[in-house]
Amino acid sequence: MPLIDTDVHESFSGVRDLVPYLPEPYKSWIDGGGWRGFSQPFCYTTPGRGNRADVQNPDGSASVSDYGVMRAQLLDYHHHDYAVLTGYFYPTALKLQYGLASAMAAAYNDYVAEHWLAKDKRFLGSIQINARDPEAAAREIDRMASHPQIKQVMLAVVDDIAYGHPMYRPIFAAAERNNLSVAFHHTVFAQGPYGMGLHYMERHCLIPIALMPQVISLIVNGVFDSFPNLRFMILEGGFSWLPHVMWRLDREFRQGRVEVPWIKKLPSQHCRERLRLSTQPTEDITPDQWGKLIDLMGTDELLVFSTDYPHFDFDNPNVAIPRALSDDTREKIFWKNAAKFYELDIPASAVPSKAAE
Amino acid sequence: MSRHTICKTSEVEVGLIKPVTIGRSPIILARLPSGEIRAVGGYCPHQAADLKYGCISGVTNGDTPNELTFDHAGEVLRCPWHGFEYSLVSGDPLVPAPANTKGCLRFYEVAIEGDNVIVIM
Ligand code: FES
Repeated sequence: MPLIDTDVHESFSGVRDLVPYLPEPYKSWIDGGGWRGFSQPFCYTTPGRGNRADVQNPDGSASVSDYGVMRAQLLDYHHHDYAVLTGYFYPTALKLQYGLASAMAAAYNDYVAEHWLAKDKRFLGSIQINARDPEAAAREIDRMASHPQIKQVMLAVVDDIAYGHPMYRPIFAAAERNNLSVAFHHTVFAQGPYGMGLHYMERHCLIPIALMPQVISLIVNGVFDSFPNLRFMILEGGFSWLPHVMWRLDREFRQGRVEVPWIKKLPSQHCRERLRLSTQPTEDITPDQWGKLIDLMGTDELLVFSTDYPHFDFDNPNVAIPRALSDDTREKIFWKNAAKFYELDIPASAVPSKAAE
Repeated sequence: MSRHTICKTSEVEVGLIKPVTIGRSPIILARLPSGEIRAVGGYCPHQAADLKYGCISGVTNGDTPNELTFDHAGEVLRCPWHGFEYSLVSGDPLVPAPANTKGCLRFYEVAIEGDNVIVIM
């Protein structure tokens, strides 16, 4: 069966890798060690820390950014047709010095184009931006959009931005005029409503609670209506909450439309038409629970498969989506839904032969 | 049932994972602090991670939040991916496994003959 992996994290070895791509004065600041990059405000507790422990260089050291390792462990091993690179260096997380953050976003995009996208046609790219500087972000989207492998704009989920706010409109306008989708992914700074919690496990459980408000904010503040051709992807933020959010939004809209008349469709209809959610981490639900959940969503066309490679909570495509689901649903989750979302061609010849596997 | 002479007993140390392959089956060997040697199927029962990249640990415990104890060093295997903890004494996961997974480690019988480790499978 073809496989489109919608959340794969390429990386770099550190912010100094951006120096060749940065303009002055930022080049000198970073080259001079003025900033060492983001550091997570917690300690990882799994054997490989933030990554799978088997993501190693040949000498056994942890691999942080290696196309060869990724190719062997992921792209070739699992026979990927496409892998959407989503990064984990999100300049929006820099809360001040927004000129620097915008310059680093551009530098990172150039770095990824040269060191990742150019190496494998299976890679699809995300444009990193600094959302705190929306006009500069829009210019960066316009600059990068012509790259043939670029498919989406990445909006980092931090602790103080709900993207429905009107100030972020230039970003959505730029994405739409370039026929790109927008994707939302947590950062090490994402929080629940009462902060990050007191333990790593607590913080990790709160991630979906940082993504749900983005969907609510985008719909209630009219982003879905203002940009009718834009598609929205929730990455690594859970998916079992979607039925609740759709029910709640619809109910609230019925009783509160008077306040938000710019919403022109039932929120659940907006979600079903243009919102997609990646599956990892699949939360070990049973096949029966998968079936119930898809029933509650009203369609099996909302979920797209992802591994989250190389992160420790990776989902193995051979195991994570139960074989007890219908072939039709599995095909949709593994590739058809993502192919439609990203407007991808899967070579027709590949489909029957792989489907026979 | 076939018997496979794998290695010398001195090659299996407490706290370390010794990966071996029997036919096409990956196995990991580990020595418990009691001296017993375990031969364990090489794929994690959860999502099939290659356990040779895991680590041998102990048990963190505690009844009061933020007061951790650590004991039974050498008796727990942690998976290299999601970090599930498995007892190398019983093979059971420390937290009950998800309903749709196999749940516990697969142990193979081990015999010691002289200073040879024999795995029977
Ligand atoms: S694969 Fe081992 S804990 Fe998930």
